[in-house]
Amino acid sequence: MKCMLSLIVVISILPACRPATSASADDKSKVHVGIVFDIGGKDDRSFNAAAWQGVNRAAKDFPIILRDVEPGDPTSIEPAMRAFAERGYDLIIGVGFAQTPQIEAVAKDYPKLNFAIVDGVSRLPNVASLIFKEHEGSYLVGMIAAMTSRSGILGFVGGMDVPLIHKFELGYEEGAKAVNPKIRVIPNYVGVTDAAWNDPVKGKELARTQIEKGADVIFAAAGNSGLGAFDAVEQYGKDGQGRAQRFVIGVDSNQTWMKPGFVLTSMVKRVDNAVYQIVKDRVENRPIGGVHVYGLENEGIGYAVDQYNKDLIPQPAIQAVEAAKQKIITGQIKVTNAMEK
Amino acid sequence: MAEILSFSILYSTIRVATPLLLAALGGLLSERSGVINIALEGLMLAGAFTSAVVTHYAGNPWIGLLAGIGSGVFIAAIHAVACIQFDSNQVVTGTAINILMLGIPTLLSGALFETTGSTPQIPRANLIPNAPAVIAFALVPVIWYVLYRTPFGLRLRAAGENPEAADTAGVSVAAIRYTGVLLSGALAAIGGAYLSIGQSSLFTRNMTAGRGFIALAALIFGKWRPVQTMLACLLFGFAEAAAIQMQGVIPHVRVEYIQIIPYVLTMVVLAGFIGAARAPRALGRPYEKE
Repeated sequence: MKCMLSLIVVISILPACRPATSASADDKSKVHVGIVFDIGGKDDRSFNAAAWQGVNRAAKDFPIILRDVEPGDPTSIEPAMRAFAERGYDLIIGVGFAQTPQIEAVAKDYPKLNFAIVDGVSRLPNVASLIFKEHEGSYLVGMIAAMTSRSGILGFVGGMDVPLIHKFELGYEEGAKAVNPKIRVIPNYVGVTDAAWNDPVKGKELARTQIEKGADVIFAAAGNSGLGAFDAVEQYGKDGQGRAQRFVIGVDSNQTWMKPGFVLTSMVKRVDNAVYQIVKDRVENRPIGGVHVYGLENEGIGYAVDQYNKDLIPQPAIQAVEAAKQKIITGQIKVTNAMEK
Repeated sequence: MAEILSFSILYSTIRVATPLLLAALGGLLSERSGVINIALEGLMLAGAFTSAVVTHYAGNPWIGLLAGIGSGVFIAAIHAVACIQFDSNQVVTGTAINILMLGIPTLLSGALFETTGSTPQIPRANLIPNAPAVIAFALVPVIWYVLYRTPFGLRLRAAGENPEAADTAGVSVAAIRYTGVLLSGALAAIGGAYLSIGQSSLFTRNMTAGRGFIALAALIFGKWRPVQTMLACLLFGFAEAAAIQMQGVIPHVRVEYIQIIPYVLTMVVLAGFIGAARAPRALGRPYEKE
């Protein structure tokens, strides 16, 4: 019986490591790319989803062999990377700041292979660090939030309570305060472990609590948990003119399509572009080590305006935000980076 | 401070406590019959996943809930057969089920939606945000009555306390234990369904986030009794709701300190107030008919 159970367990875990394409893995003429996702998993509709989109676009444009792993828990991250490295993968991508120590450990053992870490910084010559100026994008959506809010209270739902997410929070707050110095931001974090990325029920509870305290725009930077904030704002419905009573701001991927009318905008972090570019660099045999910074100036960070939310943000607001964007790029506005404070 | 002690904390407490209570009551029925049920987490995941999938296809949360209950009973049956029929180690089997239920939703969602562990979002009209909470709290007196005032309840308790005596009295210990374990699957599955089609609008990988284990702690904390278990769940719920309320209010206090409140509270209460928790005497012991 126990044998059978463990067999079932093994069978059911296998698909988690299912290869992305079924092309032959041993075609050594092609560049092999392995990607290891964060705990949120590649269909978190947010951060990991963006990375997944990026590598897939690269797989369409270049003749690469792509394999992915979604670790079920943090302890399986390093073995997954090592498995790629042992099979001689040319580029191994780790998604998420939490994988920095693991990728460094593996990269030291395989100095001839190339690695890339999203959101992390490594000094190793064979590791590319893909980092983003999230604080700048958060500043812009903070401005939009403050210009939309009627109550003068904003909410922020962060996933895991780590410095990286503090960058979002602080930028958001600074942007909001630039519009309305009296505005109040209520920050909440889902948790302090990686489970914090995957708990939409807790995310909703946090958002509801903020709404009950008067918040009418909530910025959710919490992966899957952030989806709970989407549910929370939807619960408060729309007014007579069909305008939502409460708004949510999406993160990383453009999430305006998810609950049209309720999603004010998204702080878009182009993880897809960053990942695509690093695969491209590898395919074209350019050196890829060092820090690659994505910000407003190179469209690595931005905010979303599309058919789902263009009626929610008035034109003067867009103009104000665009003006601020230019000032941030030229350095006239300095947004505090919580990780460098 | 007034902001912390508002009305909303009451609702918040109930919302947080509901899935815990459903799972804990399920665990109660299983453990009072003598079968350790560490698989609550997995059973909740089964209920959460199945009800989200079926609600997505059927467009009706009640059908989804029923299907979720069915899946909980099915998974619990694996536990029951292993523990009762084959005398396996109940903790090991329960753990195996928890691991199994991490994998199965991933496998099935891949086949159904080409995702790895999450379902599409369910429209708001197809959710049941309150019904599971009503079911949970209504079940407390029902289970209390069944446990202490009916012949079945007596047999259930006997199977967990002294199966030899129950057997001598002509009670089928195996049948009673099967009933207890299967019911625990049904209840834990409702708790899971509350997470996916009640409080949120989709299933995501491992979305129970340890609630099954907290339910188990509430069960032990409540000394395997329905009313006390409910109070324990409410206490956990209140501590978490209070932590949520306090996070935004008191500045310059690190989140970790606020988030440990529920756990510290549990330890203080466990150590200081409730005295020794005594498990059903035959808990975890397979019964072999002589």
